[in-house]
Amino acid sequence: MDNNCNSSNRQEEQTSQGGAGAPAYAAGQPTPETATTEEDQVLLRVEHLCQYFGSTKAVDDVSFDIKKGEVFGLVGESGCGKTTTGRSIIKLYDITSGNIYFKGIRIGAGTKSYKDEIRRARAEYKEKIQTVTDPAEQEKLRAELRRTVAEQRAQIKAARYDQKNCDKEYAQEQQQKVQEKYAPLLANAPESQRATLQAAYKDEMRKARKTRLVTKIQMIFQDPSASLDPRMTVREIISEGLIIQGERNRQVLDGAVYEMLEKVGLVREHASRYQHEFSGGQRQRIGIARAVVMRPEMIIADEPVSALDVSIQAQVINLLNDLRKELGLTILFIAHDLSVVKYFSDRIGVMYFGKMVELAPSDELFLNPLHPYTRSLLSAIPLPDPEYEKNRKRIEYKPLAEHDYSVDKPSMREIKPGHFVHCNQAEFEKYQAILK
Amino acid sequence: MMESKLHVENLTISFHTVDGKVQAVRGINFDLQKGETLAIVGESGSGKSVTSKAILGILAGNAIIEDGEIIYDGKDLLKISEEEFHKIRGDKIAMIFQDPMSSLNPIVKIGRQLTEAMILKGKARQKESRSNFNTYLAHLQEAMIQSGACGEGAGVLTDKCHRFDKFEYKHLELEAAYNKAHEAAAEASAELEDLIFELEKNAAKDLSFRIRRICRLAETSVQTYVVQEKAQILLGLVKEVGPLVPTVKRGADSAALREKLTGIKAILDEAIGFVMPNFFALGYYVTFSGQPIPQMPVEELNRTMRKYLDEQFMLDFLADTREALRFSSDRSCKEKIEAVECLKKYRAVFEKQSLDKAECFKALKIMTKEVMDTVDPLDITRDSVTYTFGPGLENTLNKYFGGLVQNPKEQHRYEKELQKYDALVAKGKEPDWKVVAPALTDLDAVRRSMLHQIDLVIDHYSRALERHQARDFDADAVAVVDYLKANASGVVHKVTKRMAKERAIKLMQEVGISEPRKRYNQYPFEFSGGMRQRIVIAIALAADPDILICDEPTTALDVTIQSQILELINRLKEERHLSVIFITHDLGVVANMADRIAVMYAGKIVEYGTAEDIFYHSAHPYTWALLSSMPDLDTNEKLDAIPGTPPNMIYPPVGDAFAPRNKYAMKIDFERQPPMFRISDTHYAATWLLHPDAPKVDPPKAVTDRIARMKQKREEQKNGQ
Repeated sequence: MDNNCNSSNRQEEQTSQGGAGAPAYAAGQPTPETATTEEDQVLLRVEHLCQYFGSTKAVDDVSFDIKKGEVFGLVGESGCGKTTTGRSIIKLYDITSGNIYFKGIRIGAGTKSYKDEIRRARAEYKEKIQTVTDPAEQEKLRAELRRTVAEQRAQIKAARYDQKNCDKEYAQEQQQKVQEKYAPLLANAPESQRATLQAAYKDEMRKARKTRLVTKIQMIFQDPSASLDPRMTVREIISEGLIIQGERNRQVLDGAVYEMLEKVGLVREHASRYQHEFSGGQRQRIGIARAVVMRPEMIIADEPVSALDVSIQAQVINLLNDLRKELGLTILFIAHDLSVVKYFSDRIGVMYFGKMVELAPSDELFLNPLHPYTRSLLSAIPLPDPEYEKNRKRIEYKPLAEHDYSVDKPSMREIKPGHFVHCNQAEFEKYQAILK
Repeated sequence: MMESKLHVENLTISFHTVDGKVQAVRGINFDLQKGETLAIVGESGSGKSVTSKAILGILAGNAIIEDGEIIYDGKDLLKISEEEFHKIRGDKIAMIFQDPMSSLNPIVKIGRQLTEAMILKGKARQKESRSNFNTYLAHLQEAMIQSGACGEGAGVLTDKCHRFDKFEYKHLELEAAYNKAHEAAAEASAELEDLIFELEKNAAKDLSFRIRRICRLAETSVQTYVVQEKAQILLGLVKEVGPLVPTVKRGADSAALREKLTGIKAILDEAIGFVMPNFFALGYYVTFSGQPIPQMPVEELNRTMRKYLDEQFMLDFLADTREALRFSSDRSCKEKIEAVECLKKYRAVFEKQSLDKAECFKALKIMTKEVMDTVDPLDITRDSVTYTFGPGLENTLNKYFGGLVQNPKEQHRYEKELQKYDALVAKGKEPDWKVVAPALTDLDAVRRSMLHQIDLVIDHYSRALERHQARDFDADAVAVVDYLKANASGVVHKVTKRMAKERAIKLMQEVGISEPRKRYNQYPFEFSGGMRQRIVIAIALAADPDILICDEPTTALDVTIQSQILELINRLKEERHLSVIFITHDLGVVANMADRIAVMYAGKIVEYGTAEDIFYHSAHPYTWALLSSMPDLDTNEKLDAIPGTPPNMIYPPVGDAFAPRNKYAMKIDFERQPPMFRISDTHYAATWLLHPDAPKVDPPKAVTDRIARMKQKREEQKNGQ
């Protein structure tokens, strides 16, 4: 029995080897049966994500949920923070503030909001204490302040711990599962099988120890030639992640590589070639294979087709679509080509200067764009029709002229179920009137 | 008929590589008209970039130009020397590359990169204008004297020409001063509009700096042209504004300041709206009357000055010019009649089955001389047919006689190899090499092309002679004066560093870069992708080119920026009468831009037509595939991806290159290359499907659906308006 709980990338083998229906699925990873029933389950939740680089607010208070199995599109002009959002989720950056939950586990947390809260509370209480003259009252206020600060400090501590150790706990959980599974087996095993069983147990324990939760999220990059190591063969590129996860069996690795290559439309012979021997579309396929071989539950596709020719774009989009259906992937699709995003995504979030300005199901967004920036963005899409193009007017977005946020600050509000817009009360009413 | 700017014929380019000869471009033909956008669409490796690089003369070192010609301004760009190319590249033909970073120098500030070309070209332009002006005036003077215009003596006429020369500069001085003031007013007005708006919103930044700048601009504008009484009010307002700034900065209400600024703006706007003075007449008045400009409203001033100029000089001069033009044109016509006769006579030499080398070159020499004699020095636009005839025919002749030597050898080699191959096959072996088809020059075709070239000139001249009767010499005389004016302004238009900076900043504004003054001193890495591309466009436009080649300028940019850049290119094209070659792989982009579209595949143009032809009535399967493989906002079904990859151009396919990826391919597609079939006068496609014997094939559903959908959308758009 070679099957284990954590190497979910061995599902096919498990079914062939697992025999008498052993529960071969890791914790939190629903079996195919449960997945269908939990269609609305939130896979990734981003809460008030902020990512500052010095004084630049690359991402500023962005929140959204991604449900299991859906494609969430993120659009916006270059420099609006959509790529940074993707990279923050996969923990390529340490986020400044906010929380990221993946499968209910907090994988990323920032501390700035708590620190700000402490600062704010201190200033507030200082003023309050000055106005109050009674010493007993003052002491009471001071105690309150101390309590608030202590609370926030505890939050900071928890956030720091989660940011650093979320994977550790996950790995421990996995190890425990392996132990639980093997303990009875080892105890009951006859002497002759004990040695092989012991070896399998050790192997699985090693893999469980090396498993990381974040590897369930994989990324596909924009420029395929820049994201593949020119000195590694395709085999090495694709199998690298598995090796890091503790897989040592050469046959298993090769099997996984060949299977992946065939899945993305390449052939086995390509495994021993280098990336420069491929065309742009083929390179992007290798990038996709590298991501999918880890059996991720979620893929962050950062402009996967923008660097490709139109005809190749169609091939790659079709491939992603097939893989998504076949493997039940959840995809965060970051792109600036709105036609492609519309074609590919279920829901779309529009970003502008680090803020999410509108979030809606894709048909709804294109039918009823509400935020002026979304309208401006939609009016800029070129269509393959000369007559229409001659009359197309691009709407310009001028934030200063469009909004008056001097009194009433804006926030994300739900105009109609599923359709959120970043607006203040006056605009909220205006938008609701439009939709009616 | 439109004026053809660039003519590419039978261009064939290959590259030497370690693996063999890659045939990148295989005999393409196209024309670029003045003021149009020609889009070249195709996948990477289809040869579109190679074509554009050949036009600019920047092909890689291993490129071999096997055949063809690129005619620009009467010169074959493939044959001129590098020194001559320096005058054209960047100046007349500019290019915008896909990756802006690779065309910017990373360690030089943006400002320097923008002004470098301006300063360098400024001198060259000045020199050119001066030579144009002087030569033309000399020709004109000569023609006037010869024609004996109005019965005046040579001395009087020479004096007249010199008189024109003299006051021409004065008017430019006046105009420059006026323009400076006018621009200052316009700039101040625009700044004011922004500032007032921002003050209302309480979001004004750099207040004192901007106010100072506006005041300075307003003062500049006052000096020359605002009506005197208004000028006093304006200056008064400007003085009052200054003290208000610190209070506003401290947080006081900005209402008072806004009021003053609005007052300034109103005066400036009024001034901007005034009619432009007639500087030409003013210049004459100032130079020859010896009196200062009289004070009166602009309209009246214009009338008086005009009258003075006409009476004193211009009517006379125009009459003389007209006579000179008529004389020169008559002479040219006589020469043309002679040339046509000569061409008809010598045409017989080229009609023979096999040509005689000595005879041909002798005929060429005589014909070239006759044709060159027909040049009318007083024609402002140069007749490219006349200028290209000699070199073009010589080129074709060389090809013919070169081919004559080459053909027997090549034929011999081919036969030998074929024998060897057949022998191997007969033995039952499978040779791992292929017989390379013989590279034979089709001598008959070359000879026909020579005759065609001669006929072209004969036709052209016959038509010119017909038109000669109806020529409007009055209008032409005015055009001549305008031409001289334009060149004279080129002579005094000196580009100093300061001016270049101002122009660069204006260009940066024009291409949509905010805060150009601050940006001017930054390095390329401080810019975002879209901004960099704008800088590159600004640099390309700095030299005021004739032809702009855009090689995928928006591929790396997002939708809004892409849309802005496309609008920018379109606008600049209109304003500057540019001809644009737009290279892209995205058909969606070119619907907006292109007047005509050429679809390229594997080094050949497979379809060629107006934008409407290509988008609504496309005929080639490759165009269909391109159209159906991109999603639009209403696509829900699976995309029709084109299977496979483009062919390896070291071994170009025998038949239609697209056949292996084409689901409509027929047997003949794999055997023979399809010729260009004519669909309409503007629309051509190279596919066997258009052959009368071919089965009738409809375009794929995705394409027809989209056309129907777009039609519906268009109607909605119309109703919406």
